[in-house]
Amino acid sequence: MSEGTVKTLEEEMSAVAHAEMGGVLKPAPGLLPGEIDSHPTPFKYVMIFLILVVVTAVEVATSYLEGDISSGLIVALLLFWALVKFVLVAMYYMHLKTDQPMFTRFFVLGAVAACVLYTIMLTTLHVF
Amino acid sequence: MTTIEQTDAPATQVDDAPPTDPTPSHGAGGDHGGHGSSATLTNGKLAMWLFLASDCLFFGAFISAYLLYRGRPQTGPTPTELFDIPFTSATSFILLMSSLGMVLALAAIQRGDHRRFRLWLLATAIFGATFIAGQIYEFTHFAREGLHLDTNLFGSTFFVLTGFHGAHVCLGILWLVSLWGMSMQGRLGTDKAESVEIAGLYWHFVDVVWIVIFTVIYLMPQPGT
Amino acid sequence: MTTVQDAVAAPPRAVGILRRPKANRGFVSWITTVDHKKIGILYVVTALVFFVLAGVEALLLRLQLFQPNGTVLTAGQYNQLFTMHGTTMVFLVGMPIAVGLGNYFLPLQIGARDVAFPRINMFGYWVVLFGGIFMYSSFFLGGAPDGGWFGYTPLTSAPLDSGFLPGRGPDFWTVGLILLGIGSTTSAINFIVTCINMRCPGMSLLRMPVFTWMMLVIAFLTLFAIPPVTVALIMVFFDRNFGTLFFDPAAGGDPLLYQHLFWIFGHPEVYILILPGMGIVSETLPVFSRKPLFGYAIVVFSGIAIGFLGWGVWAHHMFVTGLGPVAISAFGLATMLIAIPTGVKIFNWLGTVWGGSIRLTTSMLFSLGFIAMFTLGGLSGVMHSVVPADTQQTDTYFVVAHFHYVLFGGLIFAVFGGFYYWYPKVFGRMLDERLGKINFWTLFIGFNLTFAPMHLLGLWGMPRRTYRYDNDLGWETLNQLVTVGSFVIAFSVLVFVVNAVVSKSRGAIAGNDPWDGRTLEWTIPSPPPEYNFAEVPEVHSRDDFWHQKYTEDDEGRLVALPSGGSDDHADDGHDGHGIHLPSPSYYPLITALGLPILGYAAVFTNPWLGVLGGVVLLFGLFAWAIEPAD
Repeated sequence: MSEGTVKTLEEEMSAVAHAEMGGVLKPAPGLLPGEIDSHPTPFKYVMIFLILVVVTAVEVATSYLEGDISSGLIVALLLFWALVKFVLVAMYYMHLKTDQPMFTRFFVLGAVAACVLYTIMLTTLHVF
Repeated sequence: MTTIEQTDAPATQVDDAPPTDPTPSHGAGGDHGGHGSSATLTNGKLAMWLFLASDCLFFGAFISAYLLYRGRPQTGPTPTELFDIPFTSATSFILLMSSLGMVLALAAIQRGDHRRFRLWLLATAIFGATFIAGQIYEFTHFAREGLHLDTNLFGSTFFVLTGFHGAHVCLGILWLVSLWGMSMQGRLGTDKAESVEIAGLYWHFVDVVWIVIFTVIYLMPQPGT
Repeated sequence: MTTVQDAVAAPPRAVGILRRPKANRGFVSWITTVDHKKIGILYVVTALVFFVLAGVEALLLRLQLFQPNGTVLTAGQYNQLFTMHGTTMVFLVGMPIAVGLGNYFLPLQIGARDVAFPRINMFGYWVVLFGGIFMYSSFFLGGAPDGGWFGYTPLTSAPLDSGFLPGRGPDFWTVGLILLGIGSTTSAINFIVTCINMRCPGMSLLRMPVFTWMMLVIAFLTLFAIPPVTVALIMVFFDRNFGTLFFDPAAGGDPLLYQHLFWIFGHPEVYILILPGMGIVSETLPVFSRKPLFGYAIVVFSGIAIGFLGWGVWAHHMFVTGLGPVAISAFGLATMLIAIPTGVKIFNWLGTVWGGSIRLTTSMLFSLGFIAMFTLGGLSGVMHSVVPADTQQTDTYFVVAHFHYVLFGGLIFAVFGGFYYWYPKVFGRMLDERLGKINFWTLFIGFNLTFAPMHLLGLWGMPRRTYRYDNDLGWETLNQLVTVGSFVIAFSVLVFVVNAVVSKSRGAIAGNDPWDGRTLEWTIPSPPPEYNFAEVPEVHSRDDFWHQKYTEDDEGRLVALPSGGSDDHADDGHDGHGIHLPSPSYYPLITALGLPILGYAAVFTNPWLGVLGGVVLLFGLFAWAIEPAD
């Protein structure tokens, strides 16, 4: 394989160097490195933005219903809408939907760990 | 001649790797090793996602402290007295706009439109700075109403939580402006789009944290109501 | 080197702000290196220096406790010494030693040429060194931290002028640990990305050596455990210096919030400390038994299980704080459960040794000693999990005995085993086996003499963290034994240092594979060339190197293969020509230098230092960012 032949720089460049150079390398056609599907188009980004704005307005409106509906319901609704926005930004703006699943897994691991650990902590401290 | 989408073993990939092998769905190293994985190219992205996962625990702890102390009997100004929901809704909207600017900037550099890229990048930074201006206004307003770090539990938990969030935003603005400067100098070619994407991931995360803070701290019904 | 950026217009000046260092040898090469092997050596040597410092602190403590009402130390001095002993051992010895060994061997074990981010790797090292120096400078700047290695509030968080812990000690502690946490986080991210992305062809996850696996697990633990404690430390610093009320009971604050946040970090932290040790013995036991690890997959999954379950037990450090019956039952039960995967690993190690062809090298002695001592420590741990019993044991020397058996008898024994195993690879020479045996036996005797009596002392009621005891309690004799034992330990460490220093120039030449090893690091020369592998290896099985050397006949006996063996490997005068490696850099050092300056700014609340630190940090970062990656 290698006796005598001088390798091209590309062949011999360490994985490290490749990685740190941000990948001056040929990815699969049409897709950027790390993608499994193509990124959203600008049009889609704007659509998502509009949805986010509407959901924010709904959230604020819900918060004004304090006193008219039960607190528990407001909390549930607000958490739901916040989750919707969180997921939309993560999936589309942060490309989790179109990138390798590994990114989603690690991020979800952290987010879930935070929720679980701190919920246990607050429960032990009698908040819930 | 080796094509270079696999970088973890260039020397031994000579015969194997079909040049158009798309990223295998099992990511790096499935069952027969790292062959064929372009995951290597995403070292930086992977690193940023890991950092963001850990940052969830950072902000989660401060938010938990806020929730723990919310509603405890205390003297001094309370959230109900001080919060100006319309104002904070406006600043939240501005932060959302900055996220839009960020993705449009990324899309621009990915298709090689460096002018547009710099435009949207600057817009993002300006929206971010506007958000910070709003935060500063809010902080000074609260302080004038008698709420400081050491006034009561509300003051301590609120200012430290939103303060660290604001610090994250400021670092982000610095990062974006630096990218803008590098682009002006011609150091940020289309091949460097991933580094913009990584900055974008950080920026969106900071926005997402604000989504949580806005909901949990500002909008949630106050205890006792 | 040629840049490969043809697709883009060349940057106007393709050089960084400072001229790129080129040194390959000498002092400058060591401070600008980005080579994981040099960085590994730096980490381990630094950790050993701190080990000696913390050991001296312990000896002073033991001199004070040699007799009742001792007068060797004042209460204030005693508090500083036990605080720094614990803090140093956990953060400046335990973690850096693992990161150092991981740094050196993880890339080798997965067939890589370096880690994913070499400059960030070096940055992480500087943060540890500067963080350690920063914390120790406190001795000369008004007094070292004295609130215990755990820093409970409100003692540490009471405002400066309250008189509880006057001076800057607690601030050095909080700020120092925040800095160290930054370094640990960068290392963790580096190791994870390296393991995920840079394995050589054929190296699937379940073919990685167990040591590598354990480093991957603790990288995740580190990543998620550091943020909660960082927040806790920030809160303490703010309470102390800015008047916030996080832990002020008078204002409605809850000191227990601190304990929760600290132990959410603190318990995973002890697994961060021990899992690398478990990984090391999972390497040495098979080699010195000439048998594969018994139940590799189970050992790996048990390690993952321990990492996972370790998150659910933290409040067992808080059993006596009044959590209530539901909470303590839940955490007590979870603590018992975690004994299961631990026990599984112990049985697997025993199964590895059973029926093997054993060589009682020093490394093997330490590894066997690990199994025994760690098991003892685990047993006292199970005793702690029984909540009513723990109520008696808490804050006594029984706890001190427990954690020293698992951390010293466990981690440190395993690390010494790792030293004797891997020293030949790093330095090309064998450590002396006779000195090694003396090292082992004196350490074994000294360790047990020091910590075994503490079980009794604890059950007899001797409290922790107290600078003296009275003379009619009957504790004198055992305390004297303990002190003697601690000096035997000191002697043993001295033997090791002598061994390490002398063997570097006088030890027997090691060759590539002195132990007839199983993993990839033994396929390359000792010490390895800068590029590690002349050609990136391709593996076809677990312990691939072993299978290249040996096969089995029909009766299961080993048969050497003629073509295997690392000496046959075609290094063949290959001098690494054509292999390009990332170039050294000044910027990790410069950037890292900004951090302790910021630290001093925080401790002394000095805005000018803050500006200076910020400038240095930002300069380093910017220059780093525009420096070409290689």
